[in-house]
Amino acid sequence: MNKIGTRRRVEVEMTPRSVGSRNRWSVAADVLTVVMSMLWLFPFIMAIAVALRPQREPISTGNIFFGSHLTLANFERAWNTAPWEWHFLTSVIVVVGVLSVQLVTITMAGYAFARLKFPGRTLLLYIILLQLMIPTGILIVQNVQTIRELGVFNTRWALMMPYWGSAFGVLLMRQTFREIPRDLEEAARMDGANVLQVIRHVYVPLSIPTYTAFALVMVSARWNELLWPLIVTRNPEEGRPLTVGLNQLYSATEAGAQWGNLMAGTMLVIFPLVVLFMIFQRRFIESFAASGLR
Amino acid sequence: MDTSEIASDAKPETVVVPMSKPLLQRLVPYLLIAPTLILVFTFTIWPVTQTIQASMHEPGRATRDDAGRRVPGEPTFVGVDNYTALFDSTHFLGRRFPRVLTNTIFFTTATVVVGLPLALGFALLINRPMRGLGLWRFGFFYTVLLPLIGAANIWAFMFANTTGVINTVLGAFGISGQDWLGNPQLVIFSLVLVNIWKQTGFFMIFYLAALQNTPRDIYEAAELDGGGYFTTLYYLTLPLLRRTSLFLVIVSSTYAFQTVEQLEALNRGQPADRGNLLLYFIFQNLGSSSNMGYVNAMTVILIGLLLVFTVSNFIVFEGRSEDE
Repeated sequence: MNKIGTRRRVEVEMTPRSVGSRNRWSVAADVLTVVMSMLWLFPFIMAIAVALRPQREPISTGNIFFGSHLTLANFERAWNTAPWEWHFLTSVIVVVGVLSVQLVTITMAGYAFARLKFPGRTLLLYIILLQLMIPTGILIVQNVQTIRELGVFNTRWALMMPYWGSAFGVLLMRQTFREIPRDLEEAARMDGANVLQVIRHVYVPLSIPTYTAFALVMVSARWNELLWPLIVTRNPEEGRPLTVGLNQLYSATEAGAQWGNLMAGTMLVIFPLVVLFMIFQRRFIESFAASGLR
Repeated sequence: MDTSEIASDAKPETVVVPMSKPLLQRLVPYLLIAPTLILVFTFTIWPVTQTIQASMHEPGRATRDDAGRRVPGEPTFVGVDNYTALFDSTHFLGRRFPRVLTNTIFFTTATVVVGLPLALGFALLINRPMRGLGLWRFGFFYTVLLPLIGAANIWAFMFANTTGVINTVLGAFGISGQDWLGNPQLVIFSLVLVNIWKQTGFFMIFYLAALQNTPRDIYEAAELDGGGYFTTLYYLTLPLLRRTSLFLVIVSSTYAFQTVEQLEALNRGQPADRGNLLLYFIFQNLGSSSNMGYVNAMTVILIGLLLVFTVSNFIVFEGRSEDE
């Protein structure tokens, strides 16, 4: 993103910052950026602070950040209250299980709608797009029924199946594939490639940024979901995702308002994703910029 | 495929082969979309028709047969009675539903009206060269990575009455604290605040991508014409972002309509439904099977609201792809 320098960068390089009204604006914008960003980070910082202080010290006593001393006791306690490693495993299985199937279904349908002509194309596209207007999440009552009838209630399949098809993804891939020159496909056809080979060797490799952006959106949606897992999984706790574990932790600690304990648990859950993002931050944002997601 | 055609040229009696090929080829598009179509049918279209049907029926009373087994009763058709009951102030759900409905509409509107301009502001701020940019960008974006339930837990701690962060900080300045989640006047604003804090980073990314995809020479031309920053912003940047904004209005309102997680951790719809939203209300009433007619009617109303807000989604998306 830095390579997309705005015209301002040029000015900053040419004249010292302290002179000129333009530069005063620029400094004001810098200050605003820092202030807003810190404001946004504030709850997170406070959550870490309270997780690290002794359990019996409310934040109104002593140093607001450090309390009387720093301790990892809250993390230890939070870790022992739930089978976190199993919750984590379930969340990973669900995310991988949803995404891998989605990538196949959206690629196939996206290609058909982008490049093939067939009777009923528009009608079928609109039928699929209904899913974009009516998110699966609100049709809980009937979908629970369906999941029971399919015999997968209280299994990890129940957490994955409703999301295997994605109208959003189909639309995204359709748009991305349309921008790929037809000549490339025709050249591959001349070499004797069939439909699946064309998709696999021509369209997919040229659409990686769109897949990355789609994956980011979908992974965070499934990783963060609570309502559906809460309803379609019961026991054992090991088969339920992280969000459910976090919800249980909240219910369990609510009464005593043991914030340190609760925040430590919350940090345990969000840490993997945050670290992952910090490592890939630039690539994620570039993928967004390069994909049709804008 | 070439070989079969050559073969058919040589032996005219195998003309069947090239004839069957187009048939298979004509099936290809349908085979490619079949998985998506089947899934959309199973988890969207079928449940929608079932919901509409069930919303016009009263669930039958379950009885016990001679062996003491539970036998579900036959539902009776009641037309729109379930819907009218939801707006009837003497009905046990009708007393609460209109409040929940207005809350939902207010919550959604406030999220969009405050959240999107803020997202654009953040995108403009970090779309400039600056020292420590990575950190500030992270500050705006990291909330996207938090599970909603985790974000809600953090805010439960922020909002807590005596032990919470906000009231402690206010207290340090001698300002008396508020009951952020217990005060019926305040609670909906607290929920909007949490939602904006959680979602703005996500929408910011879309604006940022749009800003970075605008051709630079347009700005250089504006620069040469002597346009100031705000003039350029108003006359050049905003019109270029119109489509992104329209898309985000739809996406953010769809998200807001489905808000559930944070209510579960923050206030469970309390106090007195002042802090309740439609999908959470539906969730709260799932337990009793005699309520199913009403629950389905509420779901249909929620679908209706979503349709009203999202019909333009097609226009936006389709309009975009036609240009290319």
